[in-house]
Amino acid sequence: MSDATIITAREMGVVGCRRCTQVWPQGTETCGRCGKRLQLRDHKSLQRVWAWWIVGMMCYIPANMYPMLRTRTLFTVQQDTIVGGAIELFTHGAPFVAAIILFASVVIPLGKFFAIAYLAISVQRRSVASFEQRHLLYEVVEYIGRWSMIDIFVVAILSSLVQLRTLAAIDPGPASLFFALSVIFTMLSAQSFDSRLIWDVQSRDKGEAQRGH
Amino acid sequence: MVTDAPDVTIEPQRKSVLSRVSFVWLIPVAALAIALGVAWNSYSSQGPLITLEFQNGAGITKDETALKYRDITVGVVEDVGFSEGLSTVLVSVRVDKDVAPYIDSGANFWVVRPELTARGVSGLDTVLSGVFIEGVWDDVIGATETRFMGLEDAPLFRPSKPGLEIALRATANGQLTENAPIFFHGIEVGRIGKARISPVTNFAIAEAIIYEPHGRLINNSTRFWDTSGFSVNIGASGAEIDFTSLATLVSGGISFDTVVSGGDRISDGEVFQIYEDEETARNSVFNASEVETLELSAIFEDNIAGLTVGADVELAGLKIGEVQSVSGVIDRATFGDSRVRLNAILSIQPARLGLEDTPSPAAALNFMAGRVREGLRARLASAGLLTGGLKIELVQVGEEGTELIPDMTASLPMIPTAQSEMRDAGASVEGVITRVNNLPIEELMTSAIDFLDSAQDFVASEELRGVPEEAVGLLEDVRGLVSSDEVQNVPVLLNATLERLEAVMTQLEEQQLVARLVGAVDAAAEAASGVDSAVAGVPELIASLQGVAAKAEGLALEELVEEINRLAGNAASVIGTDAFNALPGDLSAALGELQATLSEVRDGGVIENANAALASARSAADAVAGAADDLPALVTRMSGVLDQAARTIRGYDRGDELGRDVESALREIQEAAKALASLAKTIERNPSALIRGR
Repeated sequence: MSDATIITAREMGVVGCRRCTQVWPQGTETCGRCGKRLQLRDHKSLQRVWAWWIVGMMCYIPANMYPMLRTRTLFTVQQDTIVGGAIELFTHGAPFVAAIILFASVVIPLGKFFAIAYLAISVQRRSVASFEQRHLLYEVVEYIGRWSMIDIFVVAILSSLVQLRTLAAIDPGPASLFFALSVIFTMLSAQSFDSRLIWDVQSRDKGEAQRGH
Repeated sequence: MVTDAPDVTIEPQRKSVLSRVSFVWLIPVAALAIALGVAWNSYSSQGPLITLEFQNGAGITKDETALKYRDITVGVVEDVGFSEGLSTVLVSVRVDKDVAPYIDSGANFWVVRPELTARGVSGLDTVLSGVFIEGVWDDVIGATETRFMGLEDAPLFRPSKPGLEIALRATANGQLTENAPIFFHGIEVGRIGKARISPVTNFAIAEAIIYEPHGRLINNSTRFWDTSGFSVNIGASGAEIDFTSLATLVSGGISFDTVVSGGDRISDGEVFQIYEDEETARNSVFNASEVETLELSAIFEDNIAGLTVGADVELAGLKIGEVQSVSGVIDRATFGDSRVRLNAILSIQPARLGLEDTPSPAAALNFMAGRVREGLRARLASAGLLTGGLKIELVQVGEEGTELIPDMTASLPMIPTAQSEMRDAGASVEGVITRVNNLPIEELMTSAIDFLDSAQDFVASEELRGVPEEAVGLLEDVRGLVSSDEVQNVPVLLNATLERLEAVMTQLEEQQLVARLVGAVDAAAEAASGVDSAVAGVPELIASLQGVAAKAEGLALEELVEEINRLAGNAASVIGTDAFNALPGDLSAALGELQATLSEVRDGGVIENANAALASARSAADAVAGAADDLPALVTRMSGVLDQAARTIRGYDRGDELGRDVESALREIQEAAKALASLAKTIERNPSALIRGR
């Protein structure tokens, strides 16, 4: 079952719509059901992945350098970067919250970057490493990507709630914009990845192996 | 099945490079371009970084503290750190590009912090926003400089507030409060800067600025005076409290006025003296000969308290200056021990030295050096015996050839000193006071009281009161006798009796009752006036003591008082003598004898002789009456004397134990005097009653 039964749609001469999953014979230009353009394989997928990835990375750098929140009380103005805020929370005896912030704002975005880069590179190098795991990785990246927006969500809520004029005010810092952009771009990057490319290598290898037989 | 595969592979080859590249690449390229553009923009608009060095960086925060020029932010602190060895705070400030060229070597920087003073609150905006650094520089582009020493306080002279820059010199007791206002007719026209002690001499000097356009109010006849605190005047128009403003009441202030018109304009850097009050300041204008003083230092071995700032410095009794400051000096290196010596700075007014050429400190110094060479020495002298104050007199006591020595600590010339002769001045004054204290005034008063008691007893004695009654009885008898027929029958006996009567009268005359009474009262008066003069002499004595302590010691005050005492005692003893007390008894005995004689006359019946005897008796009675006439005058005199004594004694020591004793004594004296007066009045009303019995 594992060897011979994996037959791709391309091998069967059909192409599936990526929006409504309707299967059409190869050569069909657009999906007759939803109107999406049908593509057997997206050859520019990796380019787009890398393009979005780079922009996302570019945005991620200022997102960590500039203050995320600007807390203005009566006398002081406090500006904290993401990591700085987490460290401050940690020293103020809230390690759990600090850990959440670090996880959501640093570990997940960075993990996403690395995961996407790994997937893209593995596809380019025609790696034959566990297809299943890579696919799972892709699923996780795509799923978890949107949760990085929780930071932006918190910033948005805080800055809209805490506006007590002169007494106290919380404003989003410049980092929040960049962080949001970074999240958006990495999500686009992940979405640009055509997961079918993962198994193309597999089927090709198998095909070559069959041909060799 | 596999027929489609070649199509797939061929397809990319057919397409151009452009179509093979995703348009998404535009986004990172654009992002990169934007990033680079922003970076370049911020880099190119960035001004230079200057470094400010402060002693204290309180409140300066990285990325927040602003650099302001004329209250506009022209830079932000980028970094705060320390210099080598942590001695100062280094503040790096990124300055705006368009302002940076003006920040040259003439720029000054200081930190503006909230400040609460008596004149109000300044820098209040920094309470909420935090401190900021303020800078001043001129409007001329100069050579670039990147490192500046920050000032501790805001400078007095700023280009934004131009004015006339002068310096003010405070008097010894004056006040120079930093940032205190300078008033002209109650309007603030300037400020005093930070006061500092002049390194050469012992006075405080402060920079001050008179803001434009008020600088023209100042010329070389302008006088400044201290308006700090308040003055209270109590005069005919009532009490008056005067102070310029609440601010000057708390923190001081300076006023000025140009008293004489037509002074010369002055330029920056002129030094003015601050006078104690307006009156002194105004008077000083007319004291035209007052020029800058010569300051000399004198170190006295004697460490006698009492030399105060402002004490006179006299040359041959003439005041030529005053003591400007007094301090203790311990200098083991110079004197060889660690005793405290008195270091007095004398400020000598050259104009008072009578110099031939123009009076100036240099000329005065020359003169003094010459006189010191001839033996002139400074010496402490007593300014007044009772106050214990000291002055410094310059006397010709030392040997010749000594030079004015330059002081080692300051550049003041030092005048050699001589041993003071007033070492025991305080002690001798104290001795005089003690002796005055020890005068036996209490005993004197007791004696006077005793004497007056005796006098009262005498006057109030029954015998003396009985005299008129007996006289009346006697005269009745005489009348009875004269009207009787038998009288006419005793002429022979009367003759003999008359001889005895004459003898009685002689005795009576010899007794000299009235004369002795007068003498006694005179003695009392003398004693009382002695008390008076003795007591009244004390203030005079104290006054005269101030020059003649030795003479005061020799004064026979004690003997005088003792003499008075003795005299009073004598008077008391005279009055207390039995003979004196027996006087009335004698008198009545004499009258008794007279009565007896008259009885004999009645028995003898000698009328002619009786008539003659009566004439003699009348003349005797007239003599008594005449003497009695003197009594009121005596009493008046005595009471006057005693009143004087009372006044004197009251003035001398009111409320004291002695005073109470004296008062009770005076009361008794007054009662005695009243008794005497009533007696005198009785006699005066009817002098012949003594004789006639009516």
